[in-house]
Amino acid sequence: MSYTKKREYVAGAFFLIVGLGYLYLTSGIPRKQFIDAAFVPYVLAFTMCLLGVLQLRAAYKLPVSEQAGEKDTADYRTVWKTLGLIVAYAAFLEPVGFPVMTVVYLFLQFIVLTPRDKKISYPMYGVIAVMTSAIVYLTFRQAFDMMLPVGLMSGLIE
Amino acid sequence: MLSLFMQGIETVFTLQILGLLFFGTVVGIIFGAIPGLTATMAVALFLPITYTLGAAAGISLLVGLYIGGVSGGLISAILLKIPGTPASVATTFDGGPMMEKGEGAKALGVGIFYSYVGTLLSIFALIFIAPTLAKIALAFGPHEYFSIAIFSLTLIITLATGSMVKGLFSGALGFAFSTVGIAPVDAIPRFTLGLTELNAGFDILPVLIGLFAISEIIKVAEDVKTEQQATVTVVKLKGFGFSVKEFFEQGWNMIRSTLIGTGIGILPGIGSGTSNIVAYMVAKKRSRHPEKFGTGIIDGIVASEAASCSAVGGAMIPLLTLGIPGDTVTAMLLGGFMIHGIQPGPLLFVSQGPLVYTIFVAMLVSSLMMLVCELYGVRLFVKMLAIPKHILLPIILVLCFVGAFGLGNRIFDVGVIVFFGLLGYGFVKCKIPQTPFIIGLILGPMAETNLRRGLMLSDGNFSGFLTQPISATFLGIAAASVAMHFYQTHRARAARKAMQPT
Repeated sequence: MSYTKKREYVAGAFFLIVGLGYLYLTSGIPRKQFIDAAFVPYVLAFTMCLLGVLQLRAAYKLPVSEQAGEKDTADYRTVWKTLGLIVAYAAFLEPVGFPVMTVVYLFLQFIVLTPRDKKISYPMYGVIAVMTSAIVYLTFRQAFDMMLPVGLMSGLIE
Repeated sequence: MLSLFMQGIETVFTLQILGLLFFGTVVGIIFGAIPGLTATMAVALFLPITYTLGAAAGISLLVGLYIGGVSGGLISAILLKIPGTPASVATTFDGGPMMEKGEGAKALGVGIFYSYVGTLLSIFALIFIAPTLAKIALAFGPHEYFSIAIFSLTLIITLATGSMVKGLFSGALGFAFSTVGIAPVDAIPRFTLGLTELNAGFDILPVLIGLFAISEIIKVAEDVKTEQQATVTVVKLKGFGFSVKEFFEQGWNMIRSTLIGTGIGILPGIGSGTSNIVAYMVAKKRSRHPEKFGTGIIDGIVASEAASCSAVGGAMIPLLTLGIPGDTVTAMLLGGFMIHGIQPGPLLFVSQGPLVYTIFVAMLVSSLMMLVCELYGVRLFVKMLAIPKHILLPIILVLCFVGAFGLGNRIFDVGVIVFFGLLGYGFVKCKIPQTPFIIGLILGPMAETNLRRGLMLSDGNFSGFLTQPISATFLGIAAASVAMHFYQTHRARAARKAMQPT
């Protein structure tokens, strides 16, 4: 199966799953009359399910001429590593704190994204990570009164 | 009008606001110039900061970012032959060849001048059209607002996408996310999954930051490891580089492209990303020497830049008069208004007249700053192009997180941007347009609330939406645009079939 056809099938399946999930959640809204809080969600849920079916049909009927030529050349290893780092950064931002977690995230993300033809410079990445974290924290704390989470450094900063 | 204008001048010409406008314009140009960063991302990043500023100061900063961001794309479009933003795609067609011919300075000068002229003329259009339109819109009731919301949704789906099914799904999903929280009219909680943070629904800003900024960063990760750092040639600018004769020769091209840009900007959901290409195609079609387009002539740059920048003023018209964003950046600006408790719409001109004219003046000042900064600061912007993406993008992501957290000082919003970042990346991979999602999210509550209010007014009878003339007109245009799209798709398919060998 070509990349384009696979992508169109995935889109159709996604539409249908989201539509059915939304329909299930909508069925839990208490009904009062025909036009009530559940009316618009029901319309949207059925629309999304219908669009899912139409998208799957379009994927099935995709002409051969439209399937050729397009190739996926993305570097998914880097994408997955980046996604992992972003999710970890969000998850540990509060318990570990902004200053430390930002240094860790930036340092690792710089390494992950460094182009193949460039040398990884650990000391430079470390300095940029620490300086960015400190500048951003101090700017937002002092200039905009933003209480960014300090986590592990609560004893030192507050 | 004149006294309001004077009040606007008084407010803008303070050290704080002029400083913010200058900062916003310069940062906007940098974001526009660096491929991968956009005006939308710039506004998303700085939105939370405006929370600590007053309404006039905060919105002035965002206006500067918007104007600088749309125009800045021309720098990389000409010097690197890579459009910095979708607004400058057509600028590469002739800007690149001019650079190769050694006319880079002239190409930049033309681009900068006509992007200024385009912005300026569209701001004048905004100043003269918006108050009149707002007066008309004051008479609108629930029926009209519901129909305008449906019209806007269908229009962006039919105009801005390749696949109608994907565009419709994107709009429907955005609408579905807008139903999370307390329902309008009968106040029943919906889809909150027991989370108290969701009682008020999704805050639009983390959604926008996630969908446009985070997803873009993840997308860049796809090829950043193999991407070659572009080498930039520095060009010396001496004036604008074109003669008075050339200026007069380009007169009609400039006016036509500005009209196209402003018109496309007014249409909900599409803006400078579309207008520059449409204006370029029209200029080529109408030209006496169409064969020269793409070989490095100034006509192409004039058309592209005048049209892309004039979409700025156009996109502000539906935002200020109806509360409907003209493009993705104005969707962000809508969030900026909401941060300060201001609801754009016809009443804005009555209740916040001085603020509206402050925005007009801020736009005029920012466009002048854009002209001066691009003309004299091109060396600085060129240096910015050399910052490696693997250093820049993670720092931008950190700022996105700070921005989301700062909105309500809660980690929940950080989770929201990650969730919508992943969703946005999924959209990009499946070629689902993101703009209908945002318009669905913003216009969803407007459509639902006014549908229910309209039905209450007409005793549950749907005919009210068809008997009110303005409402019926908008619904009629919406139906016609959908029918037209189906017809065009059918014709294109039939033509493809006819071309296939049997």
